[in-house]
Amino acid sequence: MRNWRFKEIVVMAALSVVFAVVYLAFLPAGKLLVGLFGPIGYDLIFGIWFIVSIIAAYIIRKPGAAFLSETIAAMVEVMIGNATGPMLLIAGMIQGIGAEAAFAATKWKNYATWVLMAAGVGSAITSFTYGYFMSGYAVLSTNYVIAMFITRMVSGALIAGLLGKALSDGLAQTGVLSSFALGKAHQKRNAA
Amino acid sequence: MFLHRLNPSIKAITIALIVVLLAFIFDPITPFIFLIGTIAITFIFGNVEWKKYILYFIPFSILSFGMLWTTIAFSTPSNNPNDVITLLGMTFPRASFLTALALSLRILSVAALSLLFIFTTNVVDFILSLIQQLKLPPKIAYGVLAGYRFLPMMKDELVIIHQAHRIRGINTAHTIKDKWHQYKRFAIPLLASAIRKAERTAIAMESKGFTGDKNRTFYRHFSIVKRDWLFPFMMLLLFSLAVLTSLKLGYI
Repeated sequence: MRNWRFKEIVVMAALSVVFAVVYLAFLPAGKLLVGLFGPIGYDLIFGIWFIVSIIAAYIIRKPGAAFLSETIAAMVEVMIGNATGPMLLIAGMIQGIGAEAAFAATKWKNYATWVLMAAGVGSAITSFTYGYFMSGYAVLSTNYVIAMFITRMVSGALIAGLLGKALSDGLAQTGVLSSFALGKAHQKRNAA
Repeated sequence: MFLHRLNPSIKAITIALIVVLLAFIFDPITPFIFLIGTIAITFIFGNVEWKKYILYFIPFSILSFGMLWTTIAFSTPSNNPNDVITLLGMTFPRASFLTALALSLRILSVAALSLLFIFTTNVVDFILSLIQQLKLPPKIAYGVLAGYRFLPMMKDELVIIHQAHRIRGINTAHTIKDKWHQYKRFAIPLLASAIRKAERTAIAMESKGFTGDKNRTFYRHFSIVKRDWLFPFMMLLLFSLAVLTSLKLGYI
């Protein structure tokens, strides 16, 4: 955390707060999909719950951004007083670790589209492993569990990875990120 | 009230520990007893409005019921299909019904634990206690507190963006497709304003001398006293009692 500027921490926290609200807003949508398709319903849109990791890491580009932002978002969700309580905090940290692992694999140097998608998949893998033990997926039939897992990974890559990138790039175009890593990268590209 | 004065860090760690312990429970009796006990503790040792409590509890009940039927519907076929339970004129395999019941009661137990925490803890106190007891770096903690302050402002911000759009001739969305486009139009300005505000707040804090140094002073002190250990003791006792009862009844 030493090389983090305080500005970056507060911006990361603000992003986490915004997405904590988004996460909560998507819970009823998830429940509706579960009602329609069974447990796999959540996995269809599970990527939305990883998105702040990808956005924060892509904008700030420092070790820990993916993990911390997801943890803070989960904490805010708990503080607002909805969702699944303290367990959610652990779930958030585990999702964050998955995304962080993908960025760590590139030594926090590469923020190409495929890395962002890999981060989404990373979150899907860790969160699914956690869900497998905590939510008792073990009682579901194996084929169904595999289908859930694949759906969640695709959702992570598309919703968290691609949508997260699109949102961040949109933000960079407005110029608010001019003092952050992503904004600087954009300026460099525009100047060239 | 005991729960309100309890050290927030101790409360959070105890609850997290119990949640992990509950994950290893696959019989319906333990979470059931634990659920009743937790609700009792919440109302005996905390000052909680029961109307508000029920209102918060409803979504969990729906989630729990969803878990119940999906687990029954999608579970693997049991080994002895003749061992069934008949309920409301429907028959279920006994083993998968009990597991489903256990999982849904577990959700309710965890919900009761979270509500115990949420209804008896002040958010700012909790974060201050995290810095003072659990050595959370002040830089992160105060960053989060600053970010958390933006939460109520966000609603106002949405109204402003909505009005700004309307003044430029975009009508209120009526169809679902319009609503979707509306959210897409809201996303970037909302995030941009949140980032601007965060940046300004950070600069203001730093210019007033905030360094994030660990050796800082506090206006409000939090400490752990002997009385605080009563809570983990009480919760673990309740959990053991629940497990023992279930063991006696032969469900584990």
